[in-house]
Amino acid sequence: MALIQLRKVVKTYTRGGETLRVLDQLDLDMEAGGFYALMGPSGSGKTTLLNLIGGLDRADEGQIVIDGEDIAAMRGPELAEWRAEKVGFVFQGFNLIPVLTAQENVELPLLLTKLSRSQRREHAQTALELVGLGDRRTHRPSQLSGGQEQRVAIARALVSDPMLVLADEPTGDLDRKSADDVLRLLRQLNEQYQKTILMVTHDMAAAQQAKTIVHMDKGRLGSIEQLR
Amino acid sequence: MPPLQLVWRNLLKRKTRFVLTTLSLAIAVFLLCVLQSLVVALNAGVKAAAVNRLIVQSKVSLFVYLPQSYGPKIEQVEGVESVMRWNWFGGYYQDPSNFFAQFACDQEKLRAIYPEIEVIDGAWEDFLTDRKACLVGEATANKYGLRVGDNFPIIGALFPKTDGTTWDFRIAAIYKSTKKNVDDATLFFHYKYLEQALESGEGSGPEGVGIFVVQTAPGADNTEVMSRIDALFEQGPQAVQSTTEAEFQAQFVSMIGNVPLFVSSIGGGVMVAILLAALNTMLMAAREQTRDVGVLKALGFGDAVVGNMLLMQSLAMCLTGGLLGIALAVGSEEPMSKMLGTVFPGYEVTQGTLLTAALVVVGIGFLAGIGPALRARSMSVIAALRRTG
Repeated sequence: MALIQLRKVVKTYTRGGETLRVLDQLDLDMEAGGFYALMGPSGSGKTTLLNLIGGLDRADEGQIVIDGEDIAAMRGPELAEWRAEKVGFVFQGFNLIPVLTAQENVELPLLLTKLSRSQRREHAQTALELVGLGDRRTHRPSQLSGGQEQRVAIARALVSDPMLVLADEPTGDLDRKSADDVLRLLRQLNEQYQKTILMVTHDMAAAQQAKTIVHMDKGRLGSIEQLR
Repeated sequence: MPPLQLVWRNLLKRKTRFVLTTLSLAIAVFLLCVLQSLVVALNAGVKAAAVNRLIVQSKVSLFVYLPQSYGPKIEQVEGVESVMRWNWFGGYYQDPSNFFAQFACDQEKLRAIYPEIEVIDGAWEDFLTDRKACLVGEATANKYGLRVGDNFPIIGALFPKTDGTTWDFRIAAIYKSTKKNVDDATLFFHYKYLEQALESGEGSGPEGVGIFVVQTAPGADNTEVMSRIDALFEQGPQAVQSTTEAEFQAQFVSMIGNVPLFVSSIGGGVMVAILLAALNTMLMAAREQTRDVGVLKALGFGDAVVGNMLLMQSLAMCLTGGLLGIALAVGSEEPMSKMLGTVFPGYEVTQGTLLTAALVVVGIGFLAGIGPALRARSMSVIAALRRTG
């Protein structure tokens, strides 16, 4: 059984009195341990799809079953708990909290667990070392480069050991070298730690790092390319 | 519970804004405490008034004097234990700015009718025997550096000496009141000194008695005693109005306008102004933290936790400023009391004032934070992150 199952998912937005059908009766299966790149032109619905799978937004119609749970049926607090437990997010703009240090940013998701303070610190340090930033833990985001910020964001996404990592244009704001570092990390998470990764990208070089490329167009599924 | 470090870090993120808002709050709370303390000082006499004392004054006005002959007649009224003549002297020491209250009274009755007046230096007996002896409150003695035995010349404004000289008093004792209805700034002297000076032409001024202070007998019904006294002089020559001491004090306070209401209104205005300042700060802070709100929600923090984070920021900011203001009010109590001295005797920052200030601060913190908190709470993750597909 697929880890992620989408059935007849519909999502519409109303803008200026006009209703836009961003996702139109979408059916899609994604396997556990996969590394998927979602590609498509602007407005094709890829970020919307990522938000629905991450429980950040709600579908108008259809079923979204992840690891056997229908998240479309979940309500606010239940969905928030589910997100905290199952999903790690990596955003294009990094979205680190500017007043917290790298270590504190990484520790944030662990505040929702029962771990003690020292355990949280230990986990955060391990995650930062994994992304090669063990020596930057006391730095604030403003004291880090863009690539380093995104690596901190990846450490934050994986520190609570989620089964699913959702990355929205993770290399969009980075130079090539930093982008390659980030992609290498995501690939390592997938291959070494068996995290299922779903990445939205415009960058074909980035998409080539994934195992599967899912092409979307006008809210519908296009082709699926199996790379490895 | 929101991440506490985040609450403080976000507060201190804009240090200048935080310091300015906090200082504004501190000054406003300090002002509130001072104004409230002034109201307390004004009302202290009313609250501490004795239940067995009545005041008999002219029905026309406090400034119309009563005949001397009324005293013995009032003394005969059923329920009356003792009657004391009491005249406002209205003088000053050296300069009109050195103003404080002086009263001519029947000195031999003062101690029994006002047991709250306690001599702390000198002797009552000395005060009673010498016609020019006076009893001076501790605050006035301290203000002018007076000691027992010192001469204390007072220039009569309402009762000037005809030769233009001063009224000479000798300080027989210094007192401190155990209750707020008598302040520690007054000078009491022998009624006879004033009476004889007026009779001999040595001094000039209104004749008669300002008010009679009546001590009622134990168990006497004040209302009935007042009715009897009023009825006694209903046909004149001068109709009187009897009141309880509390009513008299309240009337005296209201003679200078509704000061408590006026002062409270100023305090209220200051608080509204500071609420708007705190609200403005919190709205700016909430706008700056919109993305953080989205991130926290995306990470799995509940709507309530994220909303509480902003509410706690507001409360923490207001409590910081408020506690600073309260500390200032407490710290400045003694110098303020000395500064206000004889003008506002009884200035005291009471626990009630501090509790009021603390509650106002919490209220402002809540009101300034609840709007941004509810907004953050209801905001969707997508809207907060400003990311749409």
